[in-house]
Amino acid sequence: MKNQILKNIFILGCIMLGAFAQAQTVSGTVSDASGPLPGASVIVKGTSNGTTTDFDGKFILENLATDAVLSISYVGYATQEVAINSETIINVILVENANSLEEVVIVGYGTKKKSLVTGSISSIKSDDIQNNASTRVEQAIQGKVSGISVLSNSGSPGAASKIRIRGTGSNGNADPIYIVDGMKTYSIDNLDGGDIESIEVLKDAASSAIYGSEGANGVIIVTTKSGNNYDKPLISYNSQLGFQSERTKMELMDESQYRTYLNEAGVQNIPSNGINTNWLNEVFEDAWVEKHHISFAGGTDKSTYLFSGSYTNQDGIVGGERANFKRYTARLNSKHKINKWLEVGNNLTYSNTSRGIIGEDDEYRGILNNALLMDPLTPVVYTNGVPSNVSDLINSGNTILSNEAGNYYGLPAYATGEIANPVAMLTTQKRNIKTDKILGTFFANVSPFEGFVMTTRLGIDVNYSIDHNWNPIYYVSSERQNSLATVDDNITKNSSWLWENFATYTNSYKKHDYTVLLGLSAEKYQSPNYYLFSGPMPKEGDNYAYHNYTQDDDLDRTGGNFIERKKRSTFGRFSYGYDEKYLLEGTLRYDVSSAFSEANKGAYFPSLSTGWVVSKEGFWNENSKIDYLKVRASWGQVGSDQNLLGNEDLQFFTSEGIKIPDGNGNFLPGYEAGNIPNKDLTWETSEQIDFGIDLRAFDGRMTFSTDYYDKQTKDLIVSGNSLIPLSVGRNFGSINGGTVSNKGWEFELGYNNKVGDLTYSVNLNLSTLKNEVTDLAVDSPIDGADVRGFATTRFEEGEPIWYFRGYKTAGIDDATGEPIIVDVDNSGDITPNDITNIGDPHPDLLYGGQINLGYKSFDFNLNFQGSQGNDIYMLWTRTDRVYSNKPSFLYDGRWTGPGSNASFPKADVVSDELYRSDLMVGDGSYMRIKQIQFGYSLPSKILEKIKLDRLRFYVSVEDYFTFTNYQGLDPEAGSANNQSQGIDRGVYPIPGKIIFGLSLNL
Amino acid sequence: MKKYIKIVVLGVLIIFNYTSCSDEFTVVDPIGLINEDDFLTTDAEAESVIYGIYDLMAWNYNRPWNSAFVLKVLAGDIANAGSTTGDQPPLQQLDDFIHVADNPAITGVWEGFYKTIGLANVLIEKLEVSELASKDKFIAEAKFLRAYSYLELVTMFGDVPLRITTPKSIDEFGLARSSKSDVYAQIENDLAVAINGLPTKGAIGEPFRISKEAAQAVLGKVYLFQEKYDLAAIEFETVISSMAFDLEPNFADVWSSSSENGIESLIEINYVSTEKYDWGNFPWGGRPESNIHAQLMGPRGDAFDVAAIGIANGWGFNIPTAKIGAAFNNAGDVIRKNATLISEADLITAGGAVTPPDAGIHDYEGYVRLKYVTKTEDTDGPINELNYGINWRLLRYADVLLMAAEAYHKNNEDPKALIELNKVRDRAGLADVTVTGTALFDAIVLERQLELAFEGQRFWDLVRWGLADTELSSFGYTSKNQVFPVPSNEISRNVLINPEDQNPGY
Repeated sequence: MKNQILKNIFILGCIMLGAFAQAQTVSGTVSDASGPLPGASVIVKGTSNGTTTDFDGKFILENLATDAVLSISYVGYATQEVAINSETIINVILVENANSLEEVVIVGYGTKKKSLVTGSISSIKSDDIQNNASTRVEQAIQGKVSGISVLSNSGSPGAASKIRIRGTGSNGNADPIYIVDGMKTYSIDNLDGGDIESIEVLKDAASSAIYGSEGANGVIIVTTKSGNNYDKPLISYNSQLGFQSERTKMELMDESQYRTYLNEAGVQNIPSNGINTNWLNEVFEDAWVEKHHISFAGGTDKSTYLFSGSYTNQDGIVGGERANFKRYTARLNSKHKINKWLEVGNNLTYSNTSRGIIGEDDEYRGILNNALLMDPLTPVVYTNGVPSNVSDLINSGNTILSNEAGNYYGLPAYATGEIANPVAMLTTQKRNIKTDKILGTFFANVSPFEGFVMTTRLGIDVNYSIDHNWNPIYYVSSERQNSLATVDDNITKNSSWLWENFATYTNSYKKHDYTVLLGLSAEKYQSPNYYLFSGPMPKEGDNYAYHNYTQDDDLDRTGGNFIERKKRSTFGRFSYGYDEKYLLEGTLRYDVSSAFSEANKGAYFPSLSTGWVVSKEGFWNENSKIDYLKVRASWGQVGSDQNLLGNEDLQFFTSEGIKIPDGNGNFLPGYEAGNIPNKDLTWETSEQIDFGIDLRAFDGRMTFSTDYYDKQTKDLIVSGNSLIPLSVGRNFGSINGGTVSNKGWEFELGYNNKVGDLTYSVNLNLSTLKNEVTDLAVDSPIDGADVRGFATTRFEEGEPIWYFRGYKTAGIDDATGEPIIVDVDNSGDITPNDITNIGDPHPDLLYGGQINLGYKSFDFNLNFQGSQGNDIYMLWTRTDRVYSNKPSFLYDGRWTGPGSNASFPKADVVSDELYRSDLMVGDGSYMRIKQIQFGYSLPSKILEKIKLDRLRFYVSVEDYFTFTNYQGLDPEAGSANNQSQGIDRGVYPIPGKIIFGLSLNL
Repeated sequence: MKKYIKIVVLGVLIIFNYTSCSDEFTVVDPIGLINEDDFLTTDAEAESVIYGIYDLMAWNYNRPWNSAFVLKVLAGDIANAGSTTGDQPPLQQLDDFIHVADNPAITGVWEGFYKTIGLANVLIEKLEVSELASKDKFIAEAKFLRAYSYLELVTMFGDVPLRITTPKSIDEFGLARSSKSDVYAQIENDLAVAINGLPTKGAIGEPFRISKEAAQAVLGKVYLFQEKYDLAAIEFETVISSMAFDLEPNFADVWSSSSENGIESLIEINYVSTEKYDWGNFPWGGRPESNIHAQLMGPRGDAFDVAAIGIANGWGFNIPTAKIGAAFNNAGDVIRKNATLISEADLITAGGAVTPPDAGIHDYEGYVRLKYVTKTEDTDGPINELNYGINWRLLRYADVLLMAAEAYHKNNEDPKALIELNKVRDRAGLADVTVTGTALFDAIVLERQLELAFEGQRFWDLVRWGLADTELSSFGYTSKNQVFPVPSNEISRNVLINPEDQNPGY
């Protein structure tokens, strides 16, 4: 409170000290060697006052102080500063400067010249995002910069990704936060890549500490495009149409291998029935994808606008239309100069998405899981009558699924239990999530005197989502059936507002430049959820899946919950530079959050960073090949409260779900004590140091950066239930359970040049990562993902976070064909005590690269991305369903007798020593060609004739080629569960795409 | 000009501070939860926590796939795991005496009993310092439920951590195993309080709640299991002479829905068929109000046609051994046999059929179980599979009589033993036993095997009688199996239990 009063006084003081110089108007033209430069930025130095040049490179600025200095910049050109000295016309010729160091990057609550940045920030520009057929922006980031891993939850259309910046730093939610035009949000699935101007990834603590208790997992700042004062409005249209297909190399046993294997395993000598179904072939299909984006941008020197709309439509390679993802977005960004000291504006987007959901990431009922397990002796459909067991089922009133031609789908010939014909089960998938989202900011910038800008900004993020499902009637087996058509809806409305007020003052004295930022913010998040269930439906069909028409009130179920969080914050930053040579920056944020316990209601998050531009020193040889060299170091502490629920320091009683029959036909409501309270619970703190070097050489043709970081996440929030001894007999919410260390090196290298008409550029990035749990507050490991009743991942001191657990093998016993299990505890017996670390889901190395070529009107680019050293645990197999099919490597590599030099044991369908051992852990390393694109732009002569500014056609092949030794469906697709990273329960593979694209400017 | 700006800026700051600077702003009350300070101030609230404890008990004995009831039945020589080869490996392993410390069913049951105990501890602690006038009766009931859970734990696991208070901090989470005798001492103390404070059977309103007499019977069982026969005999005699309970006239009726919470029942867990569970709303990870284990234990549809005898198909677990079938035949025990199981021949005669798939019926030895079977009449729609309302009879009067007979016999009061034993035989239509001495003991052993088949008693009886080796070694039993292993995650999480503290042999 006291701090805030002081800061208010300071801000007011600044205002009162301010003085206005006399005003004048300046106009001019910005050009380069070949002519006028449209879109160059002309900023009055030390203010946010400025404009951009129009199509003819012209600009006009009013109400300038006579001693103002204009800073003129354009991407790829050296920034120039010109004092206007009462001149009214200023013409500037910018010099091409292939380096990107004069670029301005977006930082928290401001912008900064890249050459003066002391933290570790990676940037991605719009061109890298919009030519990509990915339906989600996160996927377009993958492989583009170092230090960030994008782990797809699934290859299904619209599926989210887990983004990890510099490793997994939390044992629960470790996603970064997104700042979209100043508004904080937790997902950017509502954004179309075509609307994005730039993405900055704040990697080190010094860069993200200004976001305090939410910055620990990194911050991704997304800036959307805005209009400019063009000669004429700019209309641009981008379109992509394409086909997707499965690209997996996975093979299952065919019918003969399957029969042999089961016979050798002693299950049964199954006779051939003339059927040999390849379920993977049956379940995959080719699917359509299209994206369209149109935008209108323009403005005057007073007002600018950008209006855009987009449409995305993608079918699934499994499930086709049932897995369809559709998204519509509309955006209006505008900015208006009301007078010389006030500017107001907004960035606002509305999106509507609809996503069909196919059951996946489930070891019992997932469609892909069932495709992997279904026996090959089952036909997809019965075309010549049904076998007697099926007709018996039909006669006794069971609903056997049939296709559109009226033929019954095959019931499992041998597979038992939940395992069902995946093609038939696809017809029962009726789940769809529809979301409406509004995300935006409204802001006003007040600049009463030079160098001072005060911003007040209100952000809103409203998300209304209906997860709708209905369950048709079908029968496969007593374990897989539904005999009542029911409907359920899960409705969630998240809404949050964030109000930020901050002031920036920039000034210089001789060679001392400094900027001070002070701000306050308040925010509120509310999320009510409602669950509705009813049945039976009057008739099957989408039209009948609504609760008013279901026929039995006794079946109705309702549920719901409500989450609310509030926070207020104070933050500040001081940046100092001497002669653009010695750089120093410090930030401090103070957060008070409803999620914190009474004992720790407020938290400080500091950071400090420094840089030295060595190449500016007098001793630097001007003829050096190295044009620019900066070394930097940073330290900071950032928090994460995303895994805190609030009120965990109090003891409550709950009645949720607790009732007992009274023996007379009624129920008695019960109460239970909630979690054991934890008075000491606090936020996670991530402390990180970073050392980096930025370098530019060969007249800017080469750029290079490297960073070493050491990130320690302390007071890691761990679910208490996973470490409290069961004998306590109570639940325990969260505890600050340990420390995770992530360390690594990052390298980014770029080179570009021009040889005759050929321009080329190569960008490579590489990151190393070592993840380890270095301390656990309790003296016991924590079990994670449960697969068929067994804990398969663990969080343990001295090991990588959520490493895999199972039996370790030392080859195959040549005499018996059984795996030789390592007796880890030296007890003489193989018991569960011998279960140990058999794999690490985290890569040691992530890399990516882009190669761009341009020749006259042709362009070519190639993107690749890879991961090295991560393991995948294949856990879709079912030892409890002995007739389930298996991957063919178990057949090909099996032991068939002494001397068979086998890589896998003899045929075995039940043994944990095979199916819960390192024999089922595969090397998840892969290298994927994300994109090969070939484009042609029409030359300007033709364009002039058809009255277009730009027209480019391209063809692109995406995610088509993958190099891996992994023998499952896809080394990349993972799990949505944080504790299941690398656990393969039968994933939805990422489709390959062939895309035809067009972009035109009018 | 400047004045306007200042007004604007000041205005913004004032509004901002007004909304965000008050401490109230960052306080958010939890939704749907009652703070402990506002709770347990009335009888109704205290009683609702008692119901909460019963609900945990109902959950623990019916937890999908990890039920205490099934765990107790599968060990022993009466039931095989059943279903199909390899289905539910944890249950198959239990049946085959391959007990591993990370068996999810063993872990789940351990957790279930301690959850029951944990809530009882909270209620007892809070009531002991409360002003509530009628608190003693609630403390008595909570202590009974705690004692019963510890009796099950000490029987299944031997030494166990004796958790009778709520830990105040993380440092108190670790707790070493207490010796069996210490655990029994605590059970006896709790039961003494329970007997003192519980109402008699006649004064109980809700039929599922524990009566003073039921607590006395459990105390008798506690003494019997400790071989304190004289004390056991006294307790059983009190229960019998109270006339609070009696045998159902017809043996088969004991499991019928009409006899729920009936004259023979001392401890019974209630489930209902009225919850209208459907595949889409069944709480697999939660607390079903129906008995889902009935479905788990129904004869499999791909092998057995049992509609003719009023039975619906289920998922095939808990299938009789040939040994129990033979035991009925050898004893000439027709009434109880017909209510407990049916042979393949009898099933076919009754209009049923057995159609083994190519690979045979896993674990099938010629009999289909009828006790606690999936009777069509015990369930209701919309999905019959999910709505069985069958109650578990955890302690019934016939068991009390047989325990009394055992206690009398061991206490050298064979004539009294014969009276109680023959009450049970009488109902089964069998001739009175007249032998004494060892022969009488053997008769009691047989009687318990037949009377209480599939009720989860047999294995624990064999262990305490020292007969497990003889009776069970052909089923894979070795001496280490007399108790289950302590769950491996208890050992890894509980700092005061080390790997070397594990039960011998595991």
